[in-house]
Amino acid sequence: MNTVTTIAALLLFPSGLILLLSGLAFEWADRKLLAQYQNRLGPRWFQPLADVVKLLAKEEVVPEGVNRTLFIALPIAGLAGALTAALYTPLFGLQPAYSFRGDLIVTLYLLSLLTLCMGLAGSNTLDRFSLVGATRTLTQLFSYEAPFMLALLGPAVAAGSWQISEIADYSSAGRYLLLTQPLGFLVAIVGLMGKLELPPFDAPEAETEIVAGALTEYSGRGLALFRLGKGVELVVGLTLVAAFYMGGVANPLLWLVKTLILLLVMVALQALFTRLRIDQTVGLWWRYGALLVLVQWLIMVLVGLL
Amino acid sequence: MTTNTTSERFTVPIGPQHPALKEPGAFRFNVDGEIVTSATVRLGYAHRGIEKLAENQNWVQNIYLFERTCGICSHTHATTYCLGVEKLAGVEVSPRVSAIRTLVAELERIHSHLLWLGVSAHEAGFDTLFMFGWRDRETVMDLLEMISGNRVNYSVNILGGVKVDVTPEIVEQILAGVDLLEERTKHYLDVVSTDAGFLQRTRGVGVMTREQAEALGAVGPTARASGVARDLRVDAPYLSYSDFPVQMILDDRGDLEARFVVRLRELFESYRLLRELVTHMPEGELATRMPRRIKAGETVSRLEAPRGDVFYFIQSNGSDKPARVHVRTPTVCNMTSVVKLALGHQLADVPLILAGIDPCFSCNDR
Repeated sequence: MNTVTTIAALLLFPSGLILLLSGLAFEWADRKLLAQYQNRLGPRWFQPLADVVKLLAKEEVVPEGVNRTLFIALPIAGLAGALTAALYTPLFGLQPAYSFRGDLIVTLYLLSLLTLCMGLAGSNTLDRFSLVGATRTLTQLFSYEAPFMLALLGPAVAAGSWQISEIADYSSAGRYLLLTQPLGFLVAIVGLMGKLELPPFDAPEAETEIVAGALTEYSGRGLALFRLGKGVELVVGLTLVAAFYMGGVANPLLWLVKTLILLLVMVALQALFTRLRIDQTVGLWWRYGALLVLVQWLIMVLVGLL
Repeated sequence: MTTNTTSERFTVPIGPQHPALKEPGAFRFNVDGEIVTSATVRLGYAHRGIEKLAENQNWVQNIYLFERTCGICSHTHATTYCLGVEKLAGVEVSPRVSAIRTLVAELERIHSHLLWLGVSAHEAGFDTLFMFGWRDRETVMDLLEMISGNRVNYSVNILGGVKVDVTPEIVEQILAGVDLLEERTKHYLDVVSTDAGFLQRTRGVGVMTREQAEALGAVGPTARASGVARDLRVDAPYLSYSDFPVQMILDDRGDLEARFVVRLRELFESYRLLRELVTHMPEGELATRMPRRIKAGETVSRLEAPRGDVFYFIQSNGSDKPARVHVRTPTVCNMTSVVKLALGHQLADVPLILAGIDPCFSCNDR
């Protein structure tokens, strides 16, 4: 492949800069919609961008007693994971930049890399809040990961492939899997909220209990990179669920519309519920989440056999 | 910076600066994983030496001092002080004065409970209830602004009377405001009693039995939610409460849900009382002359603040400055219950248990 176009693809479009900016745009949409649900105004469109710019301009304070290399490297690794995961997804309604058989599993693991980095970043400190936050992040990772993965593998089984581009093409051919696999769709949406640590699954960064959770000690560049990573994860997660369940994302307009509709639903769920305690989150996922997705798979298997 | 790690236990500091606290107070919780094994509290961060300051100012200046003990129960403090001084001086105020003081006191109670609803919902992570509750709190703040000119810290008391009058226009606005608030409060009571997610965080959490409440000396809605039948408006009626009585709201469950329900149901009582009060406002003059030097003696005055009973001991030596004013606020009584109740609960429940007593650190520390 032409080196220049490869580098442009990685740094600008569809990955890289444009993806980072889309992450910020979706974060704004999330905050604005949540504000509207709560009968208030919400931030102006450039707020997330202003936040990142401000953070990048601030001094990064490396606390005492941490492993300095890890402290600096973990945000970079997390963001890199999220950006790499984006290379395999049909972002902006275009074909994924890279594609190979089994890339669904790789993408899911790369998305988890961000969460893992946040958990490690929280453990890599002497601060009590970060330690509790890191424990909760990793506990939550272990609880929603299995149902969420199974929920995303449901369409893979239906499409008969583990390659994201093929599954997306399968859905684009007019197959609305949210109607044929509703339980899987439900688990996928709620699992995405767990992955992104959105309320009601924001126990790992419960502001009123543990300040900022695993990222309490971060400021400046490290925090900016983690926030960018979360924004990218939001876009990639929405794209995956929309591409698999909502009839594919054949072109940019469809992608935008479907991801925004999905975001609207997710924000409604955010506004409706109280934050769950971490033990309640684990209980919910290992009981109902896993149960629902297994029932969905059972139904798929039975329908497939008939 | 010291780290306290004994095997897997650490000390999680909540305060003095912490997003869960609106005012400073240093709580130290030893946790084993997520379970709290022991707790200590250190207060006094908002101590301003108000009781001592009062001895250096004259009786009138002290109203303004005591009003500022707390932002959200400021009227209660000022009224209790004025009642005490008026008792010492042997001055009877007109029924209209008592009625206006009662009116503002009940509006303050509504303001305080709605504020508390929002803050506790925020501690639980239920930001939507927080935002909606505070939007409705704007209604009662507008009413108070109409009456007194201020949204918080209304300053309507003077020794021997009040500074403001309630005109028919204000009465109309109050009735309209109360109608709106009653409708909204019904909705919040519904949410608090039936929302599954919220109940998961509040039902059965922080249970304080009646015996525990009496042993720990809890007061106010916190105690009434554990079945302790103590409400100064009923037990020792002051101001206009003998003419416009209130019903005591009790609940015997003693958990966080009970505390929510008690405070919301108290709101309904306040709305009913307000309607009666403004439609049957007694006539009378707004102020009675008070002497500059108050007769020597000592007296006790008590009032039911939104958080419980406020107790003022006022001693005069015949001069124009008090000899001693001692204030005992409800949060002083309720604070020990927090450290006791937090044991055995998860760390995530702790901010809610703290918020459940409706803490006012400014009142506590004076």
